[in-house]
Amino acid sequence: MTKKQLVYIKGTKDGLVLRLDDQSAYAELVDELKLKVSDEGIDGQAEVLLQLGNRYCSEEQIKELIASVHTSPHLRVSRVQSDVISIEESNRRILERQSETYVGIVRSGQVIKAEGDLVVVGDVNPNGKIIAGGNIFVLGRLKGSAHAGANGNKEAVIAASWLEATHIKINETLETMTDELTILSEQPEMECAYLHANGFIAIDRLQELRLLRPQLSTFKGGS
Amino acid sequence: MGEAIVITSGKGGVGKTTTTANLGTALALQGKKVCLIDTDIGLRNLDVVLGLENRIIYDLVDVIEGRCKVHQALVKDKRFEDKLYLLPAAQTTDKHAINPAQMKELVTELKRDYDYVVIDCPAGIEQGYKNAVAGADRAIVVTTPEISAVRDADRIIGLLEQEDIAPPKLIINRIRQHLMKAGDALDVNEITTHLSIDLLGIIMDDESVITSSNKGEPVVMDPTNRAAQGYRNIARRILGESVPLMSMDVQKKGIFSKIKAVFAK
Repeated sequence: MTKKQLVYIKGTKDGLVLRLDDQSAYAELVDELKLKVSDEGIDGQAEVLLQLGNRYCSEEQIKELIASVHTSPHLRVSRVQSDVISIEESNRRILERQSETYVGIVRSGQVIKAEGDLVVVGDVNPNGKIIAGGNIFVLGRLKGSAHAGANGNKEAVIAASWLEATHIKINETLETMTDELTILSEQPEMECAYLHANGFIAIDRLQELRLLRPQLSTFKGGS
Repeated sequence: MGEAIVITSGKGGVGKTTTTANLGTALALQGKKVCLIDTDIGLRNLDVVLGLENRIIYDLVDVIEGRCKVHQALVKDKRFEDKLYLLPAAQTTDKHAINPAQMKELVTELKRDYDYVVIDCPAGIEQGYKNAVAGADRAIVVTTPEISAVRDADRIIGLLEQEDIAPPKLIINRIRQHLMKAGDALDVNEITTHLSIDLLGIIMDDESVITSSNKGEPVVMDPTNRAAQGYRNIARRILGESVPLMSMDVQKKGIFSKIKAVFAK
């Protein structure tokens, strides 16, 4: 009886695809992977896509698998694909995509945090702070400080009925809204702040938002 | 069963103690039985403002630590028959001498015998504030038309909203008409929209508030004084009457405008 093959190798125009069996024991898989990559007669460099199938691997295990592939000088892992994620990771992703709503006034000293988008129905007073992994929308006066895209999203925007923030931060870029700032308008009504391609924070009319960040609009259809 | 009201502000020097003394006196003048508690341990003032300094025997910490009964520590204000009492703060120790649970117990006990227990809160948001707020059923936030005082009021309102008490009400103290009219000070509307809580009343800035405090007589005892009228109006609102707010227009009818109005006829 021939032993079941645990590592399938397939060539594509973008490089090699290594599909790893997702039912076998992990240790066996690693052994076979090492064996497979060592006796493969490849010349030059090849990009490798690792497909894990329905196997859940911890970060350490993924590192180990990559290291096993890298024992061959010809192979480089460009991507790892898995069909499963942990519940924890799934919950985190749900939160990140969610929009959370805070109704009330964010007063001095208060901090409101959301993993995903944050909608504040009310004012954000001076020294009040709102932080969101995604976008921030304030239906009221934003007079405190706001940090959007806190989880690394550079596309995040901050929009407010009245944008008079003292500090605006998008991803890692902070802007203190002092009087010398030329982007400040005299009528801060219905405005949005976003990270411009030049790396600075820019402020524009809210009407421009659909052109600046078309992906924000998730509404489909309509007539 | 009475009601406990804490007077707080966050910032120091905006008139918490003066407001406590005058509001307490105004409520007593309305025939209510009132007990004032000074919780500013280590920096007590309320007794001085009321002119009761020399009559203190025991204090708040003595009561909490069981060295005396509550009624022994209460100082009676003889000007108001049996209506106004003060529980003075201790001067020789600090705010950590008591904790919120003890304070709550004390206030609950006092509420049985008094219609109103008015608690004077120390400045700040630390232990002293927590003690003062512990037993309160509702809170009054005092601010002045200054940006620093309004910021601190905003902070304290945020903290009060997390307590299990009725939404706080606002008193704007020390209003100077000429500054407000000229737009050099925050106006009443600006402050109330910024803080977005109900306005309980406004008090005009008046020198006699200081002179009467120095004499140990709350200004509210003089019914002709405009600051006193503000305090009396607030007391009536606390009692549930609907008293129209002294709007800026009405306030313009001070003695001078009244004279002007006579000549205009």
